[in-house]
Amino acid sequence: MSLLQLNKVSKYKFDEEKEWLFRDITADISPEDHIVLIGGSGQGKSTLLRIIARLERLDDGGICLEGKASKEWKPQSWRKKVSYVAQKPVMLTGSIKNNLRTVSLLHDRPFEEELARRYMEAVGLGQLDWGKNAVDLSGGEQQRLALIRSLMLNPDILLLDEITSSLDPGSKHAVEQLLLEWVSEASSPKAYLWITHDVEQARAISNQVWFMAEGCLLEKGETTAFFEHPNTKQAKQFMSGLQTEVVKHP
Amino acid sequence: MSNMALICTLCFVAVAAFISMKQKLGLEKEILIGTLRSAVQLLFIGYVLHFVFGTSNPFFILIIITGMILVAAWNAGAKAKHISGIRLRIAITLACTEGVTMGILLGLGIIAPTPQYIIPVSGIIIGSSMIVCGLLLNRMKREMETARGEIEMLLALGATEKQAIHSSLRRSVRASMIPTIDGMKTVGLVQLPGMMTGMIVAGADPIEAVRYQILIMFVLASSAAMTAMILSLISYKLWFTKDARLLPVLPAD
Repeated sequence: MSLLQLNKVSKYKFDEEKEWLFRDITADISPEDHIVLIGGSGQGKSTLLRIIARLERLDDGGICLEGKASKEWKPQSWRKKVSYVAQKPVMLTGSIKNNLRTVSLLHDRPFEEELARRYMEAVGLGQLDWGKNAVDLSGGEQQRLALIRSLMLNPDILLLDEITSSLDPGSKHAVEQLLLEWVSEASSPKAYLWITHDVEQARAISNQVWFMAEGCLLEKGETTAFFEHPNTKQAKQFMSGLQTEVVKHP
Repeated sequence: MSNMALICTLCFVAVAAFISMKQKLGLEKEILIGTLRSAVQLLFIGYVLHFVFGTSNPFFILIIITGMILVAAWNAGAKAKHISGIRLRIAITLACTEGVTMGILLGLGIIAPTPQYIIPVSGIIIGSSMIVCGLLLNRMKREMETARGEIEMLLALGATEKQAIHSSLRRSVRASMIPTIDGMKTVGLVQLPGMMTGMIVAGADPIEAVRYQILIMFVLASSAAMTAMILSLISYKLWFTKDARLLPVLPAD
Protein backbone atom coordinates (compact mmCIF):
# COMPACT_ATOMS: atom_id res chain seq x y z
CA MET A 1 0.00 0.00 0.00
CA SER A 2 1.31 3.43 -0.89
CA LEU A 3 1.99 6.08 1.74
CA LEU A 4 0.75 8.99 -0.32
CA GLN A 5 -1.27 9.34 -3.51
CA LEU A 6 -1.46 12.35 -5.78
CA ASN A 7 -4.62 12.34 -7.81
CA LYS A 8 -4.74 14.77 -10.75
CA VAL A 9 -3.05 17.51 -8.73
CA SER A 10 -3.18 20.78 -10.66
CA LYS A 11 -2.04 24.30 -9.95
CA TYR A 12 -2.59 27.62 -11.69
CA LYS A 13 0.41 29.80 -12.51
CA PHE A 14 -1.02 32.74 -10.66
CA ASP A 15 -4.09 32.81 -8.49
CA GLU A 16 -5.73 35.38 -10.74
CA GLU A 17 -4.86 34.02 -14.15
CA LYS A 18 -6.42 30.79 -15.32
CA GLU A 19 -3.24 29.46 -16.82
CA TRP A 20 -1.97 26.12 -15.53
CA LEU A 21 1.49 25.78 -14.00
CA PHE A 22 0.98 22.03 -14.09
CA ARG A 23 -2.03 19.76 -14.52
CA ASP A 24 -3.22 16.29 -13.62
CA ILE A 25 -0.22 15.03 -11.70
CA THR A 26 -1.06 11.52 -10.59
CA ALA A 27 1.53 9.48 -8.74
CA ASP A 28 2.13 7.40 -5.62
CA ILE A 29 4.82 7.45 -2.98
CA SER A 30 5.35 4.06 -1.39
CA PRO A 31 7.49 2.92 1.56
CA GLU A 32 11.21 2.90 0.80
CA ASP A 33 10.76 5.05 -2.30
CA HIS A 34 13.78 7.22 -3.07
CA ILE A 35 12.31 9.53 -5.66
CA VAL A 36 14.08 12.37 -7.42
CA LEU A 37 11.98 15.09 -8.96
CA ILE A 38 13.74 16.67 -11.91
CA GLY A 39 12.83 19.11 -14.65
CA GLY A 40 13.72 22.51 -16.01
CA SER A 41 13.38 25.68 -13.95
CA GLY A 42 9.86 27.09 -13.66
CA GLN A 43 8.09 23.75 -14.09
CA GLY A 44 6.65 23.98 -10.57
CA LYS A 45 8.76 21.34 -8.80
CA SER A 46 9.05 23.32 -5.56
CA THR A 47 5.39 24.28 -5.78
CA LEU A 48 4.45 20.61 -6.07
CA LEU A 49 6.49 19.79 -2.97
CA ARG A 50 4.91 22.68 -1.06
CA ILE A 51 1.45 21.51 -2.13
CA ILE A 52 2.21 18.00 -0.88
CA ALA A 53 3.39 19.54 2.42
CA ARG A 54 0.14 21.56 2.52
CA LEU A 55 2.01 24.84 2.58
CA GLU A 56 0.43 25.88 -0.69
CA ARG A 57 -3.05 25.43 -2.13
CA LEU A 58 -3.80 23.06 -4.94
CA ASP A 59 -6.30 24.30 -7.49
CA ASP A 60 -7.65 20.95 -8.60
CA GLY A 61 -7.27 17.28 -7.75
CA GLY A 62 -6.54 15.74 -4.39
CA ILE A 63 -3.93 14.14 -2.16
CA CYS A 64 -4.37 11.16 0.15
CA LEU A 65 -2.11 10.12 2.99
CA GLU A 66 -2.47 6.58 4.33
CA GLY A 67 -5.65 6.29 2.28
CA LYS A 68 -7.28 9.36 3.89
CA ALA A 69 -7.95 12.53 1.90
CA SER A 70 -6.06 15.64 2.99
CA LYS A 71 -9.29 17.28 4.18
CA GLU A 72 -9.71 14.53 6.76
CA TRP A 73 -6.34 15.32 8.29
CA LYS A 74 -5.52 18.16 10.65
CA PRO A 75 -2.81 20.17 8.85
CA GLN A 76 -0.45 19.76 11.82
CA SER A 77 -0.86 15.96 11.89
CA TRP A 78 -0.31 15.84 8.14
CA ARG A 79 2.87 17.92 8.33
CA LYS A 80 4.26 15.78 11.12
CA LYS A 81 4.12 12.88 8.68
CA VAL A 82 4.99 14.73 5.47
CA SER A 83 7.63 17.35 6.13
CA TYR A 84 9.10 19.87 3.70
CA VAL A 85 12.73 21.02 3.89
CA ALA A 86 13.32 24.25 1.99
CA GLN A 87 16.34 25.00 -0.17
CA LYS A 88 17.08 28.16 1.78
CA PRO A 89 17.56 27.17 5.41
CA VAL A 90 15.94 29.34 8.07
CA MET A 91 17.65 29.33 11.44
CA LEU A 92 15.73 30.20 14.57
CA THR A 93 17.43 32.76 16.79
CA GLY A 94 19.55 31.16 19.46
CA SER A 95 21.99 28.31 19.60
CA ILE A 96 22.45 25.24 17.43
CA LYS A 97 21.01 23.19 20.30
CA ASN A 98 17.97 25.45 20.38
CA ASN A 99 17.41 24.68 16.68
CA LEU A 100 17.91 20.96 17.20
CA ARG A 101 15.39 21.03 20.05
CA THR A 102 12.72 22.78 17.96
CA VAL A 103 10.65 19.66 17.35
CA SER A 104 10.80 18.52 20.95
CA LEU A 105 9.67 21.98 22.10
CA LEU A 106 6.88 22.22 19.50
CA HIS A 107 5.45 18.79 20.24
CA ASP A 108 6.34 18.47 23.89
CA ARG A 109 8.51 15.43 23.26
CA PRO A 110 11.74 14.54 25.06
CA PHE A 111 14.80 15.76 23.17
CA GLU A 112 16.64 12.79 21.65
CA GLU A 113 20.13 14.16 22.14
CA GLU A 114 21.96 10.97 21.18
CA LEU A 115 20.07 10.76 17.90
CA ALA A 116 20.75 14.43 17.15
CA ARG A 117 24.45 13.88 17.88
CA ARG A 118 24.53 10.84 15.58
CA TYR A 119 22.89 12.80 12.73
CA MET A 120 25.23 15.75 13.26
CA GLU A 121 28.25 13.48 13.07
CA ALA A 122 26.87 11.69 10.01
CA VAL A 123 26.69 14.96 8.04
CA GLY A 124 30.09 16.21 9.19
CA LEU A 125 28.90 18.62 11.88
CA GLY A 126 30.06 16.50 14.81
CA GLN A 127 32.75 18.99 15.80
CA LEU A 128 30.38 21.96 16.14
CA ASP A 129 29.86 23.55 19.54
CA TRP A 130 26.08 23.35 20.15
CA GLY A 131 26.19 26.56 22.13
CA LYS A 132 27.22 28.50 19.02
CA ASN A 133 24.72 30.88 17.49
CA ALA A 134 22.97 29.10 14.61
CA VAL A 135 22.75 32.19 12.40
CA ASP A 136 26.58 32.44 12.48
CA LEU A 137 26.95 29.10 10.69
CA SER A 138 27.93 29.01 7.01
CA GLY A 139 25.25 28.43 4.36
CA GLY A 140 26.23 24.78 3.99
CA GLU A 141 26.23 24.18 7.75
CA GLN A 142 22.82 25.81 8.05
CA GLN A 143 21.49 23.62 5.24
CA ARG A 144 22.62 20.46 7.06
CA LEU A 145 21.34 21.69 10.43
CA ALA A 146 17.94 22.46 8.87
CA LEU A 147 17.80 18.92 7.48
CA ILE A 148 18.63 17.36 10.85
CA ARG A 149 16.04 19.57 12.53
CA SER A 150 13.45 18.03 10.19
CA LEU A 151 14.82 14.51 10.69
CA MET A 152 14.27 14.95 14.43
CA LEU A 153 10.57 15.14 13.58
CA ASN A 154 10.85 11.59 12.23
CA PRO A 155 8.28 12.08 9.45
CA ASP A 156 7.19 9.27 7.13
CA ILE A 157 7.93 11.28 3.99
CA LEU A 158 10.58 13.94 3.56
CA LEU A 159 10.14 16.51 0.80
CA LEU A 160 13.61 17.79 0.02
CA ASP A 161 13.99 20.93 -2.07
CA GLU A 162 17.60 21.12 -3.36
CA ILE A 163 18.89 20.66 0.16
CA THR A 164 22.51 20.12 -0.89
CA SER A 165 22.83 23.15 -3.19
CA SER A 166 25.35 24.88 -0.88
CA LEU A 167 27.36 21.80 0.05
CA ASP A 168 30.86 20.70 -0.97
CA PRO A 169 31.10 17.22 -2.58
CA GLY A 170 32.12 15.52 0.68
CA SER A 171 29.27 16.97 2.72
CA LYS A 172 26.85 16.29 -0.14
CA HIS A 173 27.86 12.62 -0.14
CA ALA A 174 27.48 12.44 3.65
CA VAL A 175 23.94 13.86 3.45
CA GLU A 176 23.03 11.43 0.67
CA GLN A 177 24.27 8.46 2.70
CA LEU A 178 22.40 9.59 5.80
CA LEU A 179 19.12 9.92 3.90
CA LEU A 180 19.53 6.61 2.09
CA GLU A 181 20.07 4.91 5.46
CA TRP A 182 17.19 6.86 6.99
CA VAL A 183 14.79 5.43 4.42
CA SER A 184 16.08 1.86 4.32
CA GLU A 185 16.93 1.26 7.98
CA ALA A 186 13.97 2.85 9.72
CA SER A 187 11.61 0.70 11.74
CA SER A 188 8.55 2.41 10.23
CA PRO A 189 7.91 2.97 6.48
CA LYS A 190 9.82 5.95 5.11
CA ALA A 191 10.29 7.62 1.75
CA TYR A 192 11.61 10.82 0.27
CA LEU A 193 10.88 12.99 -2.73
CA TRP A 194 13.97 15.02 -3.56
CA ILE A 195 14.37 17.87 -6.04
CA THR A 196 17.84 18.06 -7.52
CA HIS A 197 19.48 19.51 -10.59
CA ASP A 198 22.56 17.34 -10.15
CA VAL A 199 22.37 14.36 -12.51
CA GLU A 200 25.04 12.37 -10.68
CA GLN A 201 23.26 12.94 -7.42
CA ALA A 202 19.93 11.99 -8.99
CA ARG A 203 21.39 8.65 -10.08
CA ALA A 204 23.00 8.03 -6.71
CA ILE A 205 20.07 8.78 -4.43
CA SER A 206 17.05 7.46 -6.26
CA ASN A 207 15.29 4.30 -7.27
CA GLN A 208 12.62 6.30 -9.11
CA VAL A 209 12.56 9.45 -11.20
CA TRP A 210 9.70 11.88 -11.68
CA PHE A 211 10.33 14.19 -14.63
CA MET A 212 8.29 17.37 -14.95
CA ALA A 213 7.95 19.19 -18.26
CA GLU A 214 5.24 20.71 -20.45
CA GLY A 215 3.13 21.46 -17.37
CA CYS A 216 2.77 17.85 -16.27
CA LEU A 217 4.57 14.86 -14.85
CA LEU A 218 5.82 13.76 -18.24
CA GLU A 219 7.70 10.65 -17.14
CA LYS A 220 7.99 8.57 -14.03
CA GLY A 221 9.84 5.34 -13.73
CA GLU A 222 12.79 3.39 -12.46
CA THR A 223 16.02 5.40 -12.24
CA THR A 224 18.36 3.34 -14.42
CA ALA A 225 15.75 2.95 -17.15
CA PHE A 226 15.02 6.68 -17.14
CA PHE A 227 18.61 7.79 -17.42
CA GLU A 228 19.56 5.18 -20.02
CA HIS A 229 16.41 5.24 -22.12
CA PRO A 230 14.26 8.28 -21.54
CA ASN A 231 10.93 7.84 -23.33
CA THR A 232 10.15 11.41 -24.27
CA LYS A 233 11.86 13.95 -26.47
CA GLN A 234 11.71 16.49 -23.61
CA ALA A 235 13.50 14.14 -21.20
CA LYS A 236 16.21 13.45 -23.81
CA GLN A 237 16.68 17.19 -24.37
CA PHE A 238 16.77 17.80 -20.62
CA MET A 239 19.38 15.06 -20.14
CA SER A 240 21.54 16.33 -22.99
CA GLY A 241 21.39 19.80 -21.44
CA LEU A 242 22.58 18.39 -18.13
CA GLN A 243 25.38 16.45 -19.81
CA THR A 244 26.54 19.60 -21.62
CA GLU A 245 26.67 21.35 -18.27
CA VAL A 246 28.68 18.51 -16.77
CA VAL A 247 31.20 18.78 -19.63
CA LYS A 248 31.35 22.55 -19.21
CA HIS A 249 31.74 22.33 -15.42
CA PRO A 250 33.31 18.95 -14.70
CA MET B 1 -12.51 82.13 23.16
CA SER B 2 -14.46 84.70 21.15
CA ASN B 3 -15.89 83.93 17.71
CA MET B 4 -13.47 86.45 16.20
CA ALA B 5 -10.51 84.69 17.82
CA LEU B 6 -11.82 81.36 16.52
CA ILE B 7 -12.05 82.76 12.96
CA CYS B 8 -8.51 84.15 13.30
CA THR B 9 -7.20 80.59 13.85
CA LEU B 10 -7.76 80.11 10.12
CA CYS B 11 -4.56 82.07 9.52
CA PHE B 12 -2.66 78.94 10.60
CA VAL B 13 -4.44 77.01 7.88
CA ALA B 14 -3.56 79.76 5.43
CA VAL B 15 0.12 79.33 6.35
CA ALA B 16 -0.06 75.59 5.60
CA ALA B 17 -1.91 76.20 2.31
CA PHE B 18 0.55 78.93 1.31
CA ILE B 19 3.55 76.64 1.91
CA SER B 20 1.85 73.86 -0.01
CA MET B 21 1.24 76.14 -3.01
CA LYS B 22 4.69 77.73 -2.88
CA GLN B 23 6.46 74.38 -2.65
CA LYS B 24 4.05 72.75 -5.17
CA LEU B 25 3.20 70.01 -2.66
CA GLY B 26 -0.29 69.64 -4.08
CA LEU B 27 -1.81 69.40 -0.60
CA GLU B 28 -4.16 72.40 -0.80
CA LYS B 29 -7.25 70.28 -1.38
CA GLU B 30 -6.29 67.94 1.46
CA ILE B 31 -5.69 70.92 3.77
CA LEU B 32 -9.08 72.40 2.85
CA ILE B 33 -10.89 69.10 3.44
CA GLY B 34 -8.98 68.54 6.70
CA THR B 35 -9.82 72.05 7.91
CA LEU B 36 -13.52 71.70 7.12
CA ARG B 37 -13.76 68.21 8.57
CA SER B 38 -11.95 69.01 11.80
CA ALA B 39 -14.04 72.17 12.31
CA VAL B 40 -17.36 70.42 11.57
CA GLN B 41 -16.49 67.27 13.56
CA LEU B 42 -15.29 69.23 16.60
CA LEU B 43 -18.24 71.62 16.55
CA PHE B 44 -20.59 68.65 16.19
CA ILE B 45 -19.02 66.76 19.11
CA GLY B 46 -19.01 70.02 21.12
CA TYR B 47 -22.77 70.36 20.75
CA VAL B 48 -23.30 66.65 21.39
CA LEU B 49 -21.24 66.82 24.58
CA HIS B 50 -23.07 69.96 25.63
CA PHE B 51 -26.34 68.05 25.27
CA VAL B 52 -25.07 64.87 26.98
CA PHE B 53 -23.54 66.75 29.91
CA GLY B 54 -26.89 68.45 30.33
CA THR B 55 -28.90 65.23 30.43
CA SER B 56 -26.33 62.99 32.24
CA ASN B 57 -28.14 59.97 30.76
CA PRO B 58 -25.83 56.89 30.75
CA PHE B 59 -27.48 55.69 27.53
CA PHE B 60 -26.01 58.66 25.61
CA ILE B 61 -22.58 58.01 27.11
CA LEU B 62 -22.80 54.44 25.86
CA ILE B 63 -23.80 55.57 22.37
CA ILE B 64 -20.90 58.02 22.17
CA ILE B 65 -18.36 55.44 23.35
CA THR B 66 -19.76 52.84 20.93
CA GLY B 67 -19.49 55.37 18.11
CA MET B 68 -15.87 56.11 19.05
CA ILE B 69 -15.03 52.38 19.05
CA LEU B 70 -16.67 51.78 15.66
CA VAL B 71 -14.93 54.72 13.98
CA ALA B 72 -11.58 53.76 15.55
CA ALA B 73 -12.00 50.11 14.48
CA TRP B 74 -12.84 51.15 10.93
CA ASN B 75 -9.87 53.50 10.77
CA ALA B 76 -7.29 51.10 12.29
CA GLY B 77 -8.64 48.21 10.20
CA ALA B 78 -7.71 50.08 7.02
CA LYS B 79 -4.09 49.12 7.78
CA ALA B 80 -4.94 45.50 7.02
CA LYS B 81 -8.21 45.64 5.14
CA HIS B 82 -7.32 42.51 3.12
CA ILE B 83 -7.50 40.51 6.37
CA SER B 84 -11.09 39.44 6.56
CA GLY B 85 -12.69 40.06 9.97
CA ILE B 86 -9.93 42.33 11.29
CA ARG B 87 -12.26 45.30 11.96
CA LEU B 88 -14.51 43.19 14.15
CA ARG B 89 -11.48 41.96 16.14
CA ILE B 90 -10.28 45.55 16.57
CA ALA B 91 -13.71 46.65 17.77
CA ILE B 92 -13.77 43.80 20.31
CA THR B 93 -10.25 44.71 21.45
CA LEU B 94 -11.10 48.38 21.88
CA ALA B 95 -14.30 47.53 23.74
CA CYS B 96 -12.39 45.22 26.12
CA THR B 97 -9.63 47.78 26.74
CA GLU B 98 -12.15 50.57 27.29
CA GLY B 99 -14.32 48.36 29.53
CA VAL B 100 -11.47 47.16 31.76
CA THR B 101 -9.76 50.55 32.01
CA MET B 102 -12.94 52.48 32.68
CA GLY B 103 -14.03 49.79 35.13
CA ILE B 104 -10.83 50.27 37.14
CA LEU B 105 -11.01 54.07 36.96
CA LEU B 106 -14.62 54.16 38.14
CA GLY B 107 -14.38 51.17 40.47
CA LEU B 108 -11.47 52.63 42.41
CA GLY B 109 -13.06 56.08 42.39
CA ILE B 110 -10.12 57.58 40.46
CA ILE B 111 -12.46 59.61 38.27
CA ALA B 112 -16.01 60.73 38.99
CA PRO B 113 -18.79 58.76 37.22
CA THR B 114 -19.96 61.75 35.21
CA PRO B 115 -19.97 62.29 31.44
CA GLN B 116 -17.51 65.19 31.86
CA TYR B 117 -14.85 62.65 32.94
CA ILE B 118 -15.98 59.42 31.26
CA ILE B 119 -16.26 60.72 27.70
CA PRO B 120 -12.95 62.62 27.36
CA VAL B 121 -10.98 59.88 29.13
CA SER B 122 -12.68 57.24 26.94
CA GLY B 123 -11.70 59.26 23.87
CA ILE B 124 -8.09 59.28 25.01
CA ILE B 125 -8.11 55.52 25.74
CA ILE B 126 -9.81 54.55 22.47
CA GLY B 127 -7.78 56.98 20.35
CA SER B 128 -4.48 55.79 21.76
CA SER B 129 -5.53 52.13 21.48
CA MET B 130 -6.51 52.71 17.86
CA ILE B 131 -2.96 53.89 17.15
CA VAL B 132 -1.57 50.82 18.92
CA CYS B 133 -3.81 48.58 16.74
CA GLY B 134 -2.56 50.34 13.58
CA LEU B 135 1.08 49.94 14.61
CA LEU B 136 0.55 46.28 15.45
CA LEU B 137 -1.09 45.55 12.10
CA ASN B 138 1.56 47.46 10.17
CA ARG B 139 4.29 45.45 11.86
CA MET B 140 2.42 42.17 11.32
CA LYS B 141 2.16 42.95 7.60
CA ARG B 142 5.93 43.42 7.49
CA GLU B 143 6.45 40.22 9.49
CA MET B 144 4.36 38.30 6.96
CA GLU B 145 7.02 39.18 4.40
CA THR B 146 10.24 39.16 6.41
CA ALA B 147 9.47 36.22 8.72
CA ARG B 148 7.59 34.15 6.15
CA GLY B 149 10.43 31.63 5.89
CA GLU B 150 10.54 31.15 9.66
CA ILE B 151 6.77 30.76 9.98
CA GLU B 152 6.56 28.26 7.12
CA MET B 153 9.55 26.32 8.45
CA LEU B 154 7.74 25.92 11.78
CA LEU B 155 4.50 24.95 10.02
CA ALA B 156 6.46 22.35 8.03
CA LEU B 157 7.61 20.90 11.36
CA GLY B 158 3.99 20.45 12.42
CA ALA B 159 3.65 23.62 14.47
CA THR B 160 0.21 25.07 15.16
CA GLU B 161 -0.57 28.52 13.78
CA LYS B 162 0.01 30.02 17.21
CA GLN B 163 3.40 28.35 17.62
CA ALA B 164 4.46 29.33 14.11
CA ILE B 165 3.52 33.00 14.42
CA HIS B 166 4.49 33.44 18.07
CA SER B 167 7.81 35.23 17.48
CA SER B 168 6.28 37.56 14.89
CA LEU B 169 3.43 38.40 17.25
CA ARG B 170 5.83 39.11 20.08
CA ARG B 171 7.89 41.46 17.88
CA SER B 172 4.71 43.20 16.70
CA VAL B 173 3.31 43.63 20.21
CA ARG B 174 6.63 45.12 21.28
CA ALA B 175 6.79 47.47 18.29
CA SER B 176 3.24 48.69 18.91
CA MET B 177 3.93 49.50 22.58
CA ILE B 178 7.29 51.22 22.21
CA PRO B 179 5.93 54.68 21.18
CA THR B 180 3.68 54.78 24.26
CA ILE B 181 6.52 53.78 26.57
CA ASP B 182 8.89 56.27 24.91
CA GLY B 183 6.21 58.93 25.33
CA MET B 184 6.12 58.18 29.08
CA LYS B 185 9.87 58.73 29.31
CA THR B 186 9.86 62.17 27.69
CA VAL B 187 6.51 63.60 28.72
CA GLY B 188 6.88 66.96 30.42
CA LEU B 189 10.45 67.29 29.15
CA VAL B 190 9.83 67.31 25.41
CA GLN B 191 6.11 67.79 25.05
CA LEU B 192 3.33 69.08 27.25
CA PRO B 193 0.40 66.79 26.56
CA GLY B 194 -2.89 68.12 25.20
CA MET B 195 -5.01 67.33 28.21
CA MET B 196 -2.67 69.03 30.66
CA THR B 197 -2.23 72.02 28.37
CA GLY B 198 -5.98 72.29 27.91
CA MET B 199 -6.62 72.25 31.66
CA ILE B 200 -3.95 74.90 32.30
CA VAL B 201 -5.33 77.13 29.52
CA ALA B 202 -8.81 76.68 30.97
CA GLY B 203 -7.50 78.02 34.28
CA ALA B 204 -6.81 74.86 36.30
CA ASP B 205 -3.98 74.68 38.81
CA PRO B 206 -0.90 73.25 36.97
CA ILE B 207 -0.30 70.76 39.81
CA GLU B 208 -3.87 69.49 39.47
CA ALA B 209 -3.42 69.33 35.68
CA VAL B 210 -0.21 67.33 36.15
CA ARG B 211 -1.96 64.88 38.48
CA TYR B 212 -4.54 64.17 35.78
CA GLN B 213 -1.83 63.89 33.18
CA ILE B 214 0.01 61.31 35.29
CA LEU B 215 -3.21 59.35 35.48
CA ILE B 216 -3.61 59.55 31.70
CA MET B 217 -0.02 58.46 31.03
CA PHE B 218 -0.41 55.39 33.24
CA VAL B 219 -3.79 54.60 31.70
CA LEU B 220 -2.24 54.86 28.21
CA ALA B 221 0.56 52.46 29.15
CA SER B 222 -1.84 49.85 30.46
CA SER B 223 -4.32 50.27 27.61
CA ALA B 224 -1.51 49.97 25.03
CA ALA B 225 -0.38 46.71 26.62
CA MET B 226 -3.93 45.40 26.88
CA THR B 227 -4.82 46.39 23.32
CA ALA B 228 -1.71 44.83 21.81
CA MET B 229 -2.13 41.61 23.78
CA ILE B 230 -5.85 41.18 23.11
CA LEU B 231 -5.66 42.05 19.41
CA SER B 232 -2.70 39.75 18.81
CA LEU B 233 -4.43 36.88 20.60
CA ILE B 234 -7.80 37.18 18.88
CA SER B 235 -6.51 38.02 15.41
CA TYR B 236 -3.46 35.80 14.79
CA LYS B 237 -5.49 33.10 13.05
CA LEU B 238 -6.69 35.62 10.48
CA TRP B 239 -3.21 35.60 8.92
CA PHE B 240 -3.72 31.95 8.00
CA THR B 241 -6.15 30.09 5.80
CA LYS B 242 -8.56 27.59 7.35
CA ASP B 243 -6.12 24.77 6.62
CA ALA B 244 -3.27 26.56 8.43
CA ARG B 245 -1.40 27.95 5.43
CA LEU B 246 -0.05 31.48 5.52
CA LEU B 247 -2.10 33.95 3.49
CA PRO B 248 -0.33 34.96 0.31
CA VAL B 249 1.71 38.18 0.43
CA LEU B 250 -0.21 41.01 -1.17
CA PRO B 251 1.51 43.26 -3.67
CA ALA B 252 2.72 46.53 -2.14
CA ASP B 253 0.16 49.35 -2.05
